Amino acid sequence: MSPLLRVQQLSTTFTTSGPPARAVDGVSFDLEAGETLGLVGESGCGKTVTALSILRLIETPPGEISPDSVIEYDGADILKLSPPELRRIRGAEIAMVFQEPTTSLNPVLTVGTQIAETVRAHRPVSRDEARHRAVELLDLVRIPEADRRVHQYPHELSGGMQQRVMIAMALSCEPKVLIADEPTTALDVTIQAQILELLADLQRQLGMGMILITHDLGVVAGIADRVAIMYGGQILEQAPTEALFAQPTHPYTEALLRAAPRIDAPSERLPVIPGTVPPATAWPVGCRFHPRCRHQWEHCTGAMPDLLQQAPHHRVRCWLVTEPHRRKG
Amino acid sequence: MKNTLGRALAQRRVRLGLALVGTLCLVALLAPLLAPYDPVAQLDLAGGQLLAPSASHPFGTDFFSRDLLSRVLYGARISLSVAVLSVVLSVGIGTLVGLAAGLAGGLLDTVLMRAVDAALAVPRVFLLLIVLALWENVGVGGLILILGLTSWFDASRIVRGEVLSLKERDFVAAARVLGVGGRRIALRHLLPNVAAPVIVTATLGVGQMVLVEAALSYLQVGVRPPTPSWGSIIFEGQQVLSSAWWIATFPGIALVLTVVGFSLLGDGIRNALDPRSR
Repeated sequence: MSPLLRVQQLSTTFTTSGPPARAVDGVSFDLEAGETLGLVGESGCGKTVTALSILRLIETPPGEISPDSVIEYDGADILKLSPPELRRIRGAEIAMVFQEPTTSLNPVLTVGTQIAETVRAHRPVSRDEARHRAVELLDLVRIPEADRRVHQYPHELSGGMQQRVMIAMALSCEPKVLIADEPTTALDVTIQAQILELLADLQRQLGMGMILITHDLGVVAGIADRVAIMYGGQILEQAPTEALFAQPTHPYTEALLRAAPRIDAPSERLPVIPGTVPPATAWPVGCRFHPRCRHQWEHCTGAMPDLLQQAPHHRVRCWLVTEPHRRKG
Repeated sequence: MKNTLGRALAQRRVRLGLALVGTLCLVALLAPLLAPYDPVAQLDLAGGQLLAPSASHPFGTDFFSRDLLSRVLYGARISLSVAVLSVVLSVGIGTLVGLAAGLAGGLLDTVLMRAVDAALAVPRVFLLLIVLALWENVGVGGLILILGLTSWFDASRIVRGEVLSLKERDFVAAARVLGVGGRRIALRHLLPNVAAPVIVTATLGVGQMVLVEAALSYLQVGVRPPTPSWGSIIFEGQQVLSSAWWIATFPGIALVLTVVGFSLLGDGIRNALDPRSR
């Protein structure tokens, strides 16, 4: 059986003045129904562009999704859909939650109206029915006193509540896939935990596939089934969450994990990864991480590795897979 | 929105403007009840001409022995209705054009906005004089139409500017992600957001439009005599200003109060809607 969502060789390039920026370069992954995939990477690695490409929200020009890319949802190639077909998919089949709830809500409409509008964009229901559905949805995302909150404006709600409203809007038409792009980055830590728990619960309850985009490994550790680590527009390592944390294989993953603060270790200066992410207009030749890698040797500067099989379901874009003895202690 | 109303009413200028505008509207509505005489009746051509203000004629009489108070009261009807209706028309057209230009972008935007630039380069009164010179004996309805059709340019630019910035906002992207169509986004998400600047433009516009109408009537191309309009009364009074100062003075005062009232109201609403003053 084919997966719910299949992304194959996705490449998205932005052309402005100067050399083209290959923001996403050959990203492939599958998402099954009911599964959560964590997409992790630092700023500028192509996580968000990947998400936007899936829904074809890249402005063209300057952006362009390469014609070789395939994004298959339920057997249909999203990249070949007509605008009306695309609109039917957006929201109803694949929905998205953004990072900033404050700016993602229309300040002059009540939250109930906004949710109702989204419902009415997809379903031939009356205003009253849509409003009724809005109350149900606010209830679903555990907003207390939903029938009162539905009449409030976004500025009357806290950031966490606003994000719950965004989630309610995204879920209004029971999508099969939810893409959450850094859904908790703008929130404080305690609220983050609540929102993540809510997302995980709803994902189970509704049986959705979820792509959770984050720069925080701690976020995916709790709720993702599988994790893909992105760097330089590519996936560097992809594995079931447990395997990834138990056996980080790519030097970048390893370094990321080491750079994360631990609650059970004595506090000392956290190690950092030397250097910065190169610009998307000038990826290094060979392995894109090699200038910052402590294990690198000549081979790394010459040829870019494919995603190599490290273990079943565990693939790594690193020559160390073929030459493990080169790993420095 | 409730807060906005509260903030607006908290300003003294808004209360003053509202009082002025409210009184004027009331006067215009109740003119038939308030006016002591028929505004066009020539009362006493044998000796009732150019009478100074007195108890029986509080504003005096004009050259044709008509009661000036009655004429100014009825003039309010004409002046206000012409101004309000033509502003409604112009702001309506301006909003639609601005929305279309801002949303469509590209060629349509360029063509519409260059046309607006060209229209704005022509002085408005000059433009109106040309049109009115071609259209003889224009009625009140025709005047409203002409005024409305020649004054939507500013509003369209304001709305276009707002739409250009609004359509880049996250909530528009969020709506699009969730499959909300272009027309629904325009009408349900963008239009309510441009309401604030449009209301301000319209309120200030009414004051300006009262002046334009007066200017046209003063130039004898607007509302035709004997129908009383403040502009035409001032024109009549200006010819006898040294001997009968009251004829031009009273409609002049009414005109000033109207424009001041709408300006205060418009400024106050703008302050109340400005996010920086919150």
